[in-house]
Amino acid sequence: MIVAERKPYEEIKEMLSGYKNILIVGCGTCVSVCMSGGEKEVGILASELRMSSKTDGKDWEIEEATIERQCDREYIEPLKDKVEKADVILSMGCGVGVQFISEVFPAKIVLPALNTEFYGATISEGVWAERCGGCGNCILHLTGGICPVARCSKSLFNGPCGGSNKGKCEINPEVDCAWQLIYDRLKALGQLDKLKEIIPPRNWSSSRDGGPRKIIREDLKL
Amino acid sequence: MNDYEPKIVAFCCEYCAYTAADTAGSARMEYPSTVRIIHLLSTGKVDTLHLLRAFEKGVDAAFVAG
Repeated sequence: MIVAERKPYEEIKEMLSGYKNILIVGCGTCVSVCMSGGEKEVGILASELRMSSKTDGKDWEIEEATIERQCDREYIEPLKDKVEKADVILSMGCGVGVQFISEVFPAKIVLPALNTEFYGATISEGVWAERCGGCGNCILHLTGGICPVARCSKSLFNGPCGGSNKGKCEINPEVDCAWQLIYDRLKALGQLDKLKEIIPPRNWSSSRDGGPRKIIREDLKL
Repeated sequence: MNDYEPKIVAFCCEYCAYTAADTAGSARMEYPSTVRIIHLLSTGKVDTLHLLRAFEKGVDAAFVAG
């Protein structure tokens, strides 16, 4: 999922100064699961803002809505009536949601309530960690199912580097060395011979280096 | 401030804290009228939103008993 965290409350309050009718829009997908921008978090932020409005004399009118996904037009369009009444939309979706709501309602100002962080997994309750870099050319079949792009601090394709120490990364003793993990996993799978293959320098144009990315599936177009 | 009587909402578990409140009532013990009790099947049901809404509506304190 896309993992995000709510922005500091003071930053959100500052963004909203000068507006009156505020529509907070939550997203029912990734950010609900990582508990940063779902229906409950919308309720909490709305409640906090209503209290601030009273204590700081802000005169804010707060409206709430949480939709299934902020990255699909058909879920955003039904917000039309609420959007028309709002001066500003505060999206609790990821960066995709913020932008896509403003694409659907171009006349409206859409502000981000979250900081979008990474593609990750739930490690345990309240703990999420990065697992994928979305680089557009997956090599997990070569690395024991552990991604060196997302999990090696240097994104090395042939590791480990000299900074690997007792299974930990030199940047932080709490960070696992991805190449140690890859070695351990390949060893457990009896596939250590895969490490003898040198992975050649890759073409990063499938990643962000190639500019903004887009997929077109002709078979799915209407 | 001597006249200050805080408005308190008490979220009480039906099976323990509320039973205690009931027993206190049977014994003719009194508590301030500014305390409002909300029964819950369990205080495990108390959610951040319940507490925030209570403060939004003007309580001075929320009391979770269970």
